[in-house]
Order: sequence, then structure tokens, then C-alpha cells
Amino acid sequence: METILNVEKISKSFGRIKAVNQLSFEVMKGQVFGILGPNGSGKTTTLSMLLDLIPPDNGQFSWFQQLPSKESRKRIGSVIESPNFFPYLDAVTNLKIVADIKDKPYDDIDEVLQLAGLYERRFSKFKTFSFGMRQRLAVASALLGKPEVLILDEPTNGLDPQGIAQIREIIALVASRGTTILLASHLLDEVQKICSYVVVLRKGIMLFSGNVKEVLAVSDSVELSASDMPGLTAAIREFPGFISFNEAEGLIQVHFSMTVNTSEINAFLYQKGILLSHLAEKKRSLEQHFLELLQDTP
Amino acid sequence: MIKLLKIEFKKIRTYKVFWILAGLYFVFLAAGILLAEFMINHTVNNINQRMPIPFPHVAIYYFPDVWQNVAFFASIRYVLIFPAIIMIILITNEFTYKTIRQNVINGMSKTEFLVSKLMIILLTALIITVILTAGAFFIGLSHSGFNEVDFFTKGIPFMTGFFLSLLCYMIYAFFCGFILRNTGMAIAIFTLYSLIIEPVIYFFFRAPFMFKNTIYTYLPVNSVIRLTEYPAIPMLKKMMGLNLQDNVSFIACLIPLAYASVMTAIVFWVMKRKDL
Repeated sequence: METILNVEKISKSFGRIKAVNQLSFEVMKGQVFGILGPNGSGKTTTLSMLLDLIPPDNGQFSWFQQLPSKESRKRIGSVIESPNFFPYLDAVTNLKIVADIKDKPYDDIDEVLQLAGLYERRFSKFKTFSFGMRQRLAVASALLGKPEVLILDEPTNGLDPQGIAQIREIIALVASRGTTILLASHLLDEVQKICSYVVVLRKGIMLFSGNVKEVLAVSDSVELSASDMPGLTAAIREFPGFISFNEAEGLIQVHFSMTVNTSEINAFLYQKGILLSHLAEKKRSLEQHFLELLQDTP
Repeated sequence: MIKLLKIEFKKIRTYKVFWILAGLYFVFLAAGILLAEFMINHTVNNINQRMPIPFPHVAIYYFPDVWQNVAFFASIRYVLIFPAIIMIILITNEFTYKTIRQNVINGMSKTEFLVSKLMIILLTALIITVILTAGAFFIGLSHSGFNEVDFFTKGIPFMTGFFLSLLCYMIYAFFCGFILRNTGMAIAIFTLYSLIIEPVIYFFFRAPFMFKNTIYTYLPVNSVIRLTEYPAIPMLKKMMGLNLQDNVSFIACLIPLAYASVMTAIVFWVMKRKDL
């Protein structure tokens, strides 16, 4: 697979604060790549460095296997923090400026405006737009000229549920066309829904990286009880993905490293000759999981 | 280059503030130039009422003096500050609306961004100079007719001098806006410095004899205005043999050019290093 972005040990400090510390990762063509972390974990600083807004103190990165340049940025569509447009210009003029900079024709301005649901308001000044419309115009401008990579920084931040749904729909559509997407978010749920690969950041340090299913797998626990408790505890250890169990009040709570299917557990134990008297799934909330994820490491 | 100008033109084409300020500037400039002669003669008339021997009427818009006098009125700091404020607004807007950030994100290099702004300044200085030259030519023509032989003798040095004054002063404004990044603060500080601080320094450092150079001569704004420091008043020449200024000094042009070059270099240096 083709490498789109390669980041090698980039660091950036603001005074004493290490905003990003020795961060490395690689994004492949067609991936929907998430950068997950709480506020202040260095997501925006990382993206700002990748877009040449902030020079990194150390480390390097390459886009499309080349040194970063304005030419590489022309192949990337980005929404970083707030939508930045001239308030006194209409949507079309603002987008024409973007197209001029990117050396792209004006042909798909109408198309991206329609995609963002702003076509009817295309000749309205940007300052008359609502918050959600502004965010959608930012996404529209990022999509101008069919970029090979789309960078989104907290694209749904501050939007109402309907706005969030609209933005996610657009992202899903763009991803389905094979565009590589780099998405920064503090919402685990968002990253889990949209992304296939993820790096988890905390205080500028990378905690995890890898496949979303593996890193963010909500390792559910299952409650089990049987008349033959010693037999049960012996048998369950052999179940694939078993991590640990704790015993309490006549039942055991078992943790697995991945999502398990309760009927598979039942069938597995039945084969081992153990008849369950109690079987229940215990789901943790995603937020709880995210907090645990961040706390787990010192 | 053309592409950068096209982008800049899109940014201002429908920007009302820009066109209102530009319109005000031309109204101010035209009114100042056209009313100056009338007002001077009005004063002369008033004085004459109390004088036994009346002063002759002052004519300042004959060829070739019209060039110097038009350049003089256009270089008055209260007039010159209009285009400077427009430039401050154009650059600080980019910071206020974070469009400078977005331009870079979208694939404009930081150098290209600065070059595009400098090109707008250069173009604005050129356009204003051409309009002023045309205006001065028609004023001169309406006063003296075509029979003058030396109708352009002073035209080239004084119009070039005005062009340099305007160009350098707008670059000062651009520098101020770029460093301060905040529209209100940049306009306030720039206006305060140009209209109050330098005149106050003049008050303390003025030369005992008016032609002697002092620290004041070398201050940035004064060095701009000084290119056409005095009007041409033929009456003074005839009656007292006093000729305040007859040409634009080449050496005097170097001072504002040096300031503007240093400021431009600082802007490029800062742009390269500072976070956007």
C-alpha cells in the first residue's frame, strides 16, 4: 500500500509545555485515520505542523513520500479548528479564492456547495451564515478540487445533532470514494464510528496506535454462574481472548480482550460439560472506556 | 504573479470598507488641491483689506509649479494616511479572520502571501500616482494652456517623489499591521505616531534654522513627507528671491526607501519563524 503521510518523531514545545513529544505514525492511502485525545493533547498542534503553519522543533514528516511543500498542501483539503473565511464575501467568492490558491478550476464549486447543502445560499455573505452552515462551508472548501487527502480537526465540534449527522454523512461519502481521511477528535464515539486506524494522544505523547477495532475494542466483561463453579473457572480460561476473572457473590465476572459473543461462550462451556445458570453481558460506556484508556498508562 | 493579484483582487472587489475609504481619499485629495488656491487667495484678500499696498494674487497651479504643489498637497500627512490605513485594514483582516492561516493551509507559500500584499501596495501606489499625474496635468492645462515650454520639467521628479512617498508610507503601514495583527491597535498606533508623536519630536528637535538637518529629518514619517516638503510659491521667488525647494533630492529618497526595505525584510523574517 502507498504511504500518504509519514511522521517521524516530531516534537513541539510552547515554552515549558511539550505540546507534541516524539510523535510518529504513518497513514496509508485510502485509510480513515483518527487522532484521538482529550482537549490539549496536541491534536491541533500536530495537524498545524503537518500543514506548515507551525514549524516543528524536532523531527520530520513527508507527504506523498516527498518533502512537504505548498504543492503537497494543494493536494490536501483541510478544516482546522474554526472555519476561516472573509465575512464580507459571499460563499462562491470565498471558494473561488480557495480554488485559485489550489490551482483548481471553478467547476466543482457548485457540486461541493450542493454536497454541503449551501447551494441556495451561495451568494449570501459568509457573515450571514449560521454556525452549522459555516462548518459545512469549511468542509465544502476542503473538498474543492477533489483532494487526495482530507484533514478534519474536530469537524463536529459545537454542532447540534442534526449538524453532526450532516457532517458525518459527508465524511462517509468522501471516504467511500477512496479519499484518505485524517480526523482529529476528542470523541471516542466519533473516531470509532468513522475511522479504521487510530493514534491515541495524551499530553503530546502517543499512547496507542493501530487498528481501531483492536485499540478501542470495548473489552466487555461477562457475568457467569454455574452449579459447578470450580469447573466453570477452569473451563473459561481456555476460551479465546480470556484475560482475567473476579469472583463475587456466587458468580464470576470474566474479562476478554475482545468483544465476545455470549452464545459462543454458552456453546463452548456446554461442550465442556458445564451448564450455566446465569449469563449476562456487562457493557461499559464508551466514555468510561476512553477515560480508562487514558488512565491506564502512567 | 498574475494569479496572486487575481486572488487579492477577489478579496477587495466586493469589500465595501475598502471602496468607501478609497472614495473618501480621492474626495479629500481633490477637494484639498482644488480648494487650496481659492483659500489662499481668500486669505490674501482678507489681508489686503488692511494693507495699504495689496499683495498680488497667488497662482500656484501654473506649469511647471503645478507638479510640485499637487505633490505637496498630496503628501500632507493627513491625506497620505488614508491609503496607509486601507493597507493596515487589508493586512490585519487576514489575521482577524485567520484567512492568512487558511491561505497557507490551502497551498499558498508564506512568501507568496507577502508578495501578494506587496504587489497590491505597489499597484495602489502606481494607480494613485497615475491619477494624480493626470489630475495635475489637467489642472495645469486649465491654468496655463499648451503654450508653456517647460510644462513637464518638474513633472517627472515630483511625481516620482510622490510615488516613492506613498509606496514607502504604505509599506510602513503594512509593517505596523503585520507586526501588531490587530486592526484597531495598528490604526491607533500608526495614526498616533504619524500625526502626533513625530510632530511632537519636531517641536523639541526643530532646527534653529529651517534648512539644517536634525534628528527629525531622519524619522521615518518625516522622511517620507520631506520628499516634497515645500510648495512652490512663485510670489516668494519673485519678491524675496526665496526658493524653498526646486527639486526632489535623490539622497532624501534613500531614507524612506531604506526604512521600507528594512521593514519588508523584518516582515519576511518574522513570517518565516512565527506560528500562524
